[in-house]
Amino acid sequence: MPFQRHRMPVGGLIDRSRKIRFAFDGVNYAGYAGDTLASALLANGVKLTGRSFKYHRPRGIMSAGSEEPNALVELRTGAYREANTKATTIEIFEGLKASSQNRWPSLAFDVMAINSLLSPVFVAGFYYKTFMWPAALWEKLYEPLIRRAAGLGRASAQSDPDTYEKATAFCDVLVIGGGPAGLSAALQAGRSGARVLLADENATLGGRAIDDGADIDGLPAAQWVSSAITELASLKNVRVFKRTTVFGAYDGGTFGAVERVSDHLAKAPTGQPRQRLWHVVAKQSIVAAGATERPIVFANNDRPGVMLAGAVRTYINRYGVRPGQRAVVFANNDYAASTVASLNKAGVDVVALVDSRETPSEGVRAILNARGTRLISSAVISSVSGKLRVKGVTVRTADGRTETLACDLVAMSGGWTPNIQLTTHLGGKPVWLDAIGSFVPGKLPPGMSAAGAASGAMGLRDALESGLASGSAAARAAGFTPAASVVPRVENDSSAFAPLWRVDGGRGKAFVDMQNDVAVGDIELANREGFRSVEHLKRYTTLGMATDQGRTANVNALAIMAGLTGKPIPETGMTMARPPYTPVAIGAFAGHHRGKAFKATRRPPSYAWSKEQGAVFVETGLWLRPGFFPRAGETDWLQTVTREVNTVRNAVGVCDVSTLGKIDVQGRDAAAFLDKLYMNGMKSLAIGRARYGCMLREDGMLMDDGTVARLGENHYVVTTTTANAVKVSQHMELCQQWLWPELDVQMISATEQWAQYAVAGPKSRGLLQRVADPAFDISDAAFPYMQSGVISVLGGIKARLFRLSFSGERAYEIAVPARFGDALIRRLMEAGKDLGVCAYGTEALGVMRIEKGHISGPELNGTTTPHDVGLSGMVSTKKDFIGRVLGGRPGLIDPDRPALVGLRPVDRTERLRSGAHFLGRHASATAGNDEGHMTSVAYSPSLGHWIGLGLLKRGPQRTGEIVRAYDPVRSGDTLVEVVAPCFIDTAGERLRG
Amino acid sequence: MADQALAAQSAFSELKPVQSAALSIEVRDGLTIASIAAGKGKAADVRAVMQKAFGIDLPDRPLRVEGGGISVIWHGPDQWLAIAPRGAGDRDLESELAALLDGIAAVTDQSDGRAVVRLSGSCVRDVLAKGVPVDLHASAFASNGVAITHASHIGIVLWQIDETPTFEIALFRSFADSFAHWLAHASVEFTAG
Amino acid sequence: MRFNCPCCGERGAEEFVYHGDAAATRPDANSPTAMADFIAYTYERTNAAGVHRELWYHAAGCHLWLVVARNVMNHQIISVARARDVALAQTAQATCGAQSNGGT
Ligand SMILES: [Zn+2]
Repeated sequence: MPFQRHRMPVGGLIDRSRKIRFAFDGVNYAGYAGDTLASALLANGVKLTGRSFKYHRPRGIMSAGSEEPNALVELRTGAYREANTKATTIEIFEGLKASSQNRWPSLAFDVMAINSLLSPVFVAGFYYKTFMWPAALWEKLYEPLIRRAAGLGRASAQSDPDTYEKATAFCDVLVIGGGPAGLSAALQAGRSGARVLLADENATLGGRAIDDGADIDGLPAAQWVSSAITELASLKNVRVFKRTTVFGAYDGGTFGAVERVSDHLAKAPTGQPRQRLWHVVAKQSIVAAGATERPIVFANNDRPGVMLAGAVRTYINRYGVRPGQRAVVFANNDYAASTVASLNKAGVDVVALVDSRETPSEGVRAILNARGTRLISSAVISSVSGKLRVKGVTVRTADGRTETLACDLVAMSGGWTPNIQLTTHLGGKPVWLDAIGSFVPGKLPPGMSAAGAASGAMGLRDALESGLASGSAAARAAGFTPAASVVPRVENDSSAFAPLWRVDGGRGKAFVDMQNDVAVGDIELANREGFRSVEHLKRYTTLGMATDQGRTANVNALAIMAGLTGKPIPETGMTMARPPYTPVAIGAFAGHHRGKAFKATRRPPSYAWSKEQGAVFVETGLWLRPGFFPRAGETDWLQTVTREVNTVRNAVGVCDVSTLGKIDVQGRDAAAFLDKLYMNGMKSLAIGRARYGCMLREDGMLMDDGTVARLGENHYVVTTTTANAVKVSQHMELCQQWLWPELDVQMISATEQWAQYAVAGPKSRGLLQRVADPAFDISDAAFPYMQSGVISVLGGIKARLFRLSFSGERAYEIAVPARFGDALIRRLMEAGKDLGVCAYGTEALGVMRIEKGHISGPELNGTTTPHDVGLSGMVSTKKDFIGRVLGGRPGLIDPDRPALVGLRPVDRTERLRSGAHFLGRHASATAGNDEGHMTSVAYSPSLGHWIGLGLLKRGPQRTGEIVRAYDPVRSGDTLVEVVAPCFIDTAGERLRG
Repeated sequence: MADQALAAQSAFSELKPVQSAALSIEVRDGLTIASIAAGKGKAADVRAVMQKAFGIDLPDRPLRVEGGGISVIWHGPDQWLAIAPRGAGDRDLESELAALLDGIAAVTDQSDGRAVVRLSGSCVRDVLAKGVPVDLHASAFASNGVAITHASHIGIVLWQIDETPTFEIALFRSFADSFAHWLAHASVEFTAG
Repeated sequence: MRFNCPCCGERGAEEFVYHGDAAATRPDANSPTAMADFIAYTYERTNAAGVHRELWYHAAGCHLWLVVARNVMNHQIISVARARDVALAQTAQATCGAQSNGGT
């Protein structure tokens, strides 16, 4: 096992007493607790970590955080494998296995690196240009080719074995980022008593206070951080979420955050999810998300060993790792001072500071002078040599002289870009600040402020100060009284900066966006071809896309485009962002809601009994209803359904209809109210009677149908279809509260209160008499068709009885309190044994309603009027009701409209298909000849052949005509005869007994 | 009285009771529940009748009151849910209240329409946070507070009983097992091991 | 988005269902211009940028219909009122207006 030869003997926040073993590309290594995969690899001298997206160029670790564009790996194995994971954010755990991506056969020797030679093919817009024609080849040739050549990690094809959950958190003040500004803000707000939620994406708090190795109050910053953490932990009103990324800001002070609960562990602890998605509701929020360092754009700036200077400081100060032996620092700003200081501390040989400016400030020169470190000012690195790792750099001075320096590390800094993403998610436009060469937050959403580097306050003192001030202001705005704040003793480092957007003239590609392999040449091409706005640039070159969202690339790209067009940067475009800030697993968004828990399931009262009977269930909305009840010896569903239909038609059947919506309507104006809702009259309904009714939408289309039963002078119960129960109840509330608030009506859903069974068939009364208490007379004289009443059953259980029929047979619906629903169905089946009773499901229900021509979902499809389905006779002309006026529009009463008919195959052995379109018998199959469609079909056990219902142009006038039922999707073309939409007992004698 | 053979069935067939200081979960079967909706312009009359009969002031905000052998949960403007144990006497609040409030309120039986579960213990708020999008923190939610909201997309009425804290949740009966499934998922970190 | 329901307090938008324009009043079905009035009421919207008065339903809460003034440019909620109260106030105003008209 290779030794951690680049580990410093002391320093950093890692725990040298806890060795952690891991493997990368099959080689075993060791790191320490507190390492990321990147820091542990660097400690072991591993610099090459992957191949790039298009050109398969060797890439290493560039950053130390979630902005990393290069060091993407596949983490874990099998179903747990996760592609494109940033080595810079993965905490190592015992047994971790990771592998590099996008290489074959090995990382060091990659065949596809030949893409580099084909780079003219892969320039900006290559998808659009190269593969335009012929389009037919896209799927077969181009896409597989591109996918093999370009692209990154492989997703696991197995289902995600991890668990996730979702939760909501409320706070007065949300602090995003736990660096010096965020910690100060959280402390200040927390001390006031406000409920504070502090979220940081890293495993440890402190941010750049630790990364830069600064002092606060005369002590190492790590000590200040640790006392801040202790104080926050002591405040009961403060919650600290580590490993938690606030990835999105949404309207009304809400935020999305993902907490990586177990990603740093080999296995999630029992009962813990892998990740938890937080929906945070905050009165006030403080974006203290820090800043991201920009690379400098020069030739071969992507070689392993070229790193961001701030990341070099992080590896030294946070992880105790020397990222190289001989470093060249290349900067356009004064942060070089702390980079050189950190390198000195780590014992790394600093070959030179290459500064693009004429004179770096006093502080920088002092550090250099202390050790006699060479300064090359007014100079740039024009290119890098070495392929799999940096071997040296070519330095060019303003006067054009060049010099080669040997080194294995380049620490570059092009300045810092505030992490303003969350401030722009709601459309807030950032403003350009010349002093730092970047955008800072502009107008912020209500309740949001920014602090520290995210706000453009780049110095450590500025960060602490602005954090305290934001913490105070947010607490005050949330109604708390913060105490005066004391700024710790600390000085700002100089943040002097002079722009350097690109270095020309080097040999090799100069990358702007490393993850997408976008080089300066691609931006020049986009400019030549007119894709100059930032949005066009992004789409044409793919710059700024993918897992890092171009955090290290966007400002450089914008500035380079501005240079090409001669326009100022803010006019060229802005770096607006959309959520998420960093990628979030889909599983986290799903949480508990996957597989069977994707949606809630509603179980009807007979569920347990039906399951015992082996019922096959169907989903109706959220309800799980028995579709049919197969019995031993039955070989297919049609056989079962036929038996169920025949039993109802000849004896008696029982069906759970509890899922129908039931709404209790009471009040002095209940009758007047229902008259406004239904197209037919309800006022005249006698107490104890029930009536079929239809509601229309205001546009005249049918909305829903059901029955209305009058239980008392001011008391009705109305039913809705199962599918529309929620919609109808919402509609009725609108009518009650908004359209006719002057009416005295009260409504409440009683759907779930009652277990309701349809008892249907010639022997239905006989069966009911066996369960109804003898005090109640249900003879035909006392309880005729469409009667309703309150009775009791089985020795005193209150019940409602309705004599309704959907099947066309003598039928009743009996309702008991739902807790007795299970008992009642068992009793009915027991008591009806000798009558030949069976349970029937929604399939038999559907067959029987088609035999009777009753409309259902396929006919109540939102485009049909009462006239279309043969109910125009029911429409009242004596009153106003919803849908009356617009239902009278000429187009809706046009006799040419498709209207309800029955259909049967001319050849009775043929099967019908719903969805088939009607054509004249000799008409060709064109849309112009379309005369409507088949809405519902069934095999009729009563008739012994298939039957259908359909909407046919002028249908009712075409009885006896033969038309084509044309179904190109299933190659169906059947001649059908138009008949009246009722196939059995047209006189309706059976239902009256 | 109903036929002895005719057993009432709990709405929950899959809920596992839990009993610990951190979390206890218990099904509340055997309740009689009736909804009350005051008639137009009759809210004051309803309040007076309920005050006289039970000694309680009906809440006009999302709160719960208790007295005279019933508890009343706010259920919307001029609407309430009255709840009591059915008890040995097979108490039926619908008929009791319908008689009291005849002509001034609509009273509807909800005893079977709602399934009720009681959650108690120091971790209850953490469990509920995984599905209920309402701030139940002591500083934001009254110790006799009520919320009509949803838990994991299942409509609920939730009320607080005491500062342990103890909450009760009523939901439509048919959702009981889906709710129990979510609850088991949400509470596993406090019940595992 | 979050709405401050006059009944329930502040709740997330996921508890609410959008219905449509609250500015339109249901016309008189017996008016001679009823057809044109209902067509305007049902279909015609100006959809102006800025503040809309909208009907929302607190579906996962108190089941109240609400009139919400919302800026559709930035989702800012300006006010939330019970639809019943708004409707009754409008009726009262209309009646009052008719009476004063009758007086002159
Ligand atoms: Zn509400």
